[in-house]
Amino acid sequence: MRIPQARRAAIERISFPLLIVISAVMIIVGKADQVAFQSLRTAVMDAAAPALDMLSRPAAFVDAAADRAWGIIAVYRENARLAEENERLLGWQRLALRLSAENAQLHDLSKLVSEPSTSFVTARVIADSGGAYARSVMVNAGRDNGVARGQAAMTGEGLVGRVSEVGSRAARILLITDLNSRVPVIVEGTRQRAILAGDNSTRPSLRYVDAGTAIRIGDRIVTSGQGGVFPPGLPVGIVASVDGETVRVEPYAALSRVDYLRLVDYGLADALPIPLSIATRGGKRADSGAAVLPPRR
Amino acid sequence: MVNLLPIATTVLAALLSIEPLHIGGYAALTPAFTLMATYHWTIYRPDLLPAPSLFMIGTAQDLLSGGLPGVTAVTLLLARAIVLTHRHYFIDRLFPFVWAGFTLLTGVAMLFLWALHSLLAAEFLDLREPVFHAVLTISVFPVASFLLGRSQRALIGAD
Repeated sequence: MRIPQARRAAIERISFPLLIVISAVMIIVGKADQVAFQSLRTAVMDAAAPALDMLSRPAAFVDAAADRAWGIIAVYRENARLAEENERLLGWQRLALRLSAENAQLHDLSKLVSEPSTSFVTARVIADSGGAYARSVMVNAGRDNGVARGQAAMTGEGLVGRVSEVGSRAARILLITDLNSRVPVIVEGTRQRAILAGDNSTRPSLRYVDAGTAIRIGDRIVTSGQGGVFPPGLPVGIVASVDGETVRVEPYAALSRVDYLRLVDYGLADALPIPLSIATRGGKRADSGAAVLPPRR
Repeated sequence: MVNLLPIATTVLAALLSIEPLHIGGYAALTPAFTLMATYHWTIYRPDLLPAPSLFMIGTAQDLLSGGLPGVTAVTLLLARAIVLTHRHYFIDRLFPFVWAGFTLLTGVAMLFLWALHSLLAAEFLDLREPVFHAVLTISVFPVASFLLGRSQRALIGAD
C-alpha cells in the first residue's frame, strides 16, 4: 500500500507537533504524579516480560559460562581462599550461636514481641534501565509469585533496593543508587540516624546527619527501620568517603551487575501509611517517627 | 511485510537498550541503539518509520526502562525532525560523512537529555556519564549502520 507523497507530507506536518505536545504532557504529568502511569507501566511490563526473559537468557548464559570457565581456572586459589574464609566464618558462627541464645533469653526477659516471619522469592533480572538517568531493574517475578510493593530486594551481600512496581509476572526494583531512592539508615554502633539518598552515582550519600557527628570511613550502614519500609538492621554498605559534610556509602551489593535478587517479605507491607512512590519522594518523607510494631502472632 | 523492517529493527533496538549484560557499569552506558535505528531509517526510508510509530516505540522503552514516559519519545521525534530536514546531505554520501552526522546528532541529543533531566531534577546533574554514553554510542554506530544497511539492501531497497 503506497500513500501519495502529498498526503504523507500532510500527515507528517500534523502528527509531528501533536506527538511532541503529547510527549511533553506525558513528561509533565509523569513528573508531577508518580503513580499516573503505574497501571500502563505494569501492563507494558507484563506484556513484554516473556520477550525480555527470552532475550536476557543468552547474556545470562554467556555470563554463567564465563563464570564457570573462570572458576575452573581459579579453582585452587579459590579453594584456598574458601578454606581460609570457612575458618573465619566458623568463628563467627560460634559467636552468632552464642549471641542468638543470649538474645532469646533477653527477649524472654523483656517480653519483646518477636519479629514476623520472613519469606522470600528469588527472581532473575530481565531488564535494566539502560540509561544515565535512572537506576532500576526489572525481574521475572510478580504478584503471581508473591511479590508485593515495598518488599526489600537483597543479594547475599546486602540491600539492593525495593520493589516499586508490581505486575502479575514482572516487577520493577528501584535501586538504592537511583536519584529518587531514600532509605532511612543508621550508622551501626551509634544512634546516628540518616537518610541514604541516591543520586544516580555508584555511591549514594548520607543526608540529614547531625552536625558534629563523627562518621569514619569503614563505618557500617544498616537500615534503621524508621518509616516501616524496611525492617531494622539490613546491611546496606560501608562509609567509603567523608568529605566535609558529604558522606558517601559504598553498597555491599555489586549493584551494577546483579543477576539474581531475593525479594524479601518482612511482613511490613501493611505498615506503609501512604503509597511508596509518594512516601519516598525527595526529602518529603511522610515519616512521623512513630514506632510501628510488627503484627502479633 | 518486509516494509515493517524499520519498525521491527527499531523495536529490537529498544529491547536491546534495556537488555542486562551483567557487566559492571554497563547499564548506565548502554549505547543508544534506538537513536541509531532512527537516524538510519530517517535518512534512507523515513516513510517506513513514521513519527507515530517512533512515538510508540519511545514511550514503550520509557515504560519498560522505568524512565519518565515521554522523554525517549520526544528525543527520538526531535532527532527524526532534525535528520529529516537534512537528509538530502546524507543520501549517497560516503560512510564517514554519515558517521559525522550521527556524531553531531548524538551530541545534540545528549545535551538535550542532560538539560531536560537537570531541569526535572532541579539541579545540574553529572555530565560525565552522559558523555561516556554518547562516546560509546558513536563508537558502536558503524556496526549498527552496517547491519541495518545490509538488512535494508537485502529486504527492501531504497525509496
